[in-house]
Amino acid sequence: MTDSLGHVRELFLVNHHALPPLTVAIAVGALLPKALASSHWAHRTPRTALVVWSVLALSLITSLSLAFLQLLLPAADSHQLSRFVESCIFFDGADCPPLPLNSPADAGIRVWAAFAAAAVAPVAFTAVLVREFLSAKRRRARHGELLRLVGSRQPELRATVLQHDAPAVYCLPGRAPQVVVSSGALRVLTEQQLAAVLEHERAHIAGRHHLLIAAAAAFGTAFPGLPLAHLVRTEVPLLLEMTADDRALRRCSRGTLATALYVVASGQAPHSAVAAGGPSAVLRVRRILTPHATSSPASWRAFAAFPAAAALTLFVMACCSVPGITDWPSK
Amino acid sequence: MRRLGDLEAEIMDRLWRWDRPATVREIVDDINRIRPVAYTTVMTVADVLHRKGLLRREKSGRAWLYEPERSREEYTAALMQDALGNTEDRQAALQRFVEHMPPDDVSALAAALRAAGQIPGSDEEPGALS
Repeated sequence: MTDSLGHVRELFLVNHHALPPLTVAIAVGALLPKALASSHWAHRTPRTALVVWSVLALSLITSLSLAFLQLLLPAADSHQLSRFVESCIFFDGADCPPLPLNSPADAGIRVWAAFAAAAVAPVAFTAVLVREFLSAKRRRARHGELLRLVGSRQPELRATVLQHDAPAVYCLPGRAPQVVVSSGALRVLTEQQLAAVLEHERAHIAGRHHLLIAAAAAFGTAFPGLPLAHLVRTEVPLLLEMTADDRALRRCSRGTLATALYVVASGQAPHSAVAAGGPSAVLRVRRILTPHATSSPASWRAFAAFPAAAALTLFVMACCSVPGITDWPSK
Repeated sequence: MRRLGDLEAEIMDRLWRWDRPATVREIVDDINRIRPVAYTTVMTVADVLHRKGLLRREKSGRAWLYEPERSREEYTAALMQDALGNTEDRQAALQRFVEHMPPDDVSALAAALRAAGQIPGSDEEPGALS
């Protein structure tokens, strides 16, 4: 094969390794999320759905990273990288070929550019995540500081009470987590309703839900415009609410929890602006009131979805790192 | 041993109740009626509260007169704003039992409860809306 022919061939072959991760990125970034959001089992089994959303998000970051890497990497180096991964990582370093890669001199920069491009998605997400954690932590610290000054600890409720007419119940997660109830909420809730509401908030604290919510918010910010990012941002908090509802339902009746939700919501001054989580409360109440919506075992699809998503991720990794699979288009 | 945070609350509580500027000596004397506390400790904590912007102070003779920057109600309102606010960016900081909702959603909630035979606040849970 002549040199010029080799170059032409390389031009056309440069991108073929980028196709599997790109396909997965499109699938998990745009197609699967819509299917998952409109599926019936997700809200029935919120814990499973949360795992699936997390796997989709991680798959997107991984596949984007690999796609960028392969788009910029010359085909020859791409193959060598595959061999490097195979022999140095999978087979304990026997016959480890050297990196940096032995491509034509001008391609050296391209290799480093490819590695830099591969880092873009994970680094961007990590940066937004750290910022999100820190700002949430700062807001919580400020809130907790004022709360300590004006709230009164009620050991028999295991909660802090704020003197205010509007009914409000929330939890302040973090290092010194606490459940906060306004005096307005104590006034409108019955004893059973209050117990249900407190149980719901304690489930948030026990499950450390704030970490997942921060991660979902960061994911939404890091990949704007992507259907997966938008849906992770709205679905993850809703699914966590449902998880906490389920936990509260172990201790109280469906009617108690549903009416408690209504009593707190209707007691607050109506907010005519578009509320961020508005319709979610309606979904939650309908779900709480429908027995099979919370207690049925996960459907076969719920169990199939997780291994499928995991297998998809493994497939991408394999396609980009095992020569036996990846060499077929160039031979 | 009590945490300094508790002492902060005790100091603020007194200044809000008295509703007038007070010296560290007055605060120490009042706390000492319940438990012993060192003058320098209270002075330090009052200074911390001043630096945090929670207390303002002015010189009166040789002593500082301390006064809350804002009322207890104003701080409570600020906390409730956080607790009821519907901005998405606060989601990670607090978890509310139920989001602040537009009126249409509240009626949808009532409709869902009625359909399930749980007339909001009237039959099953008497006193729910008392």
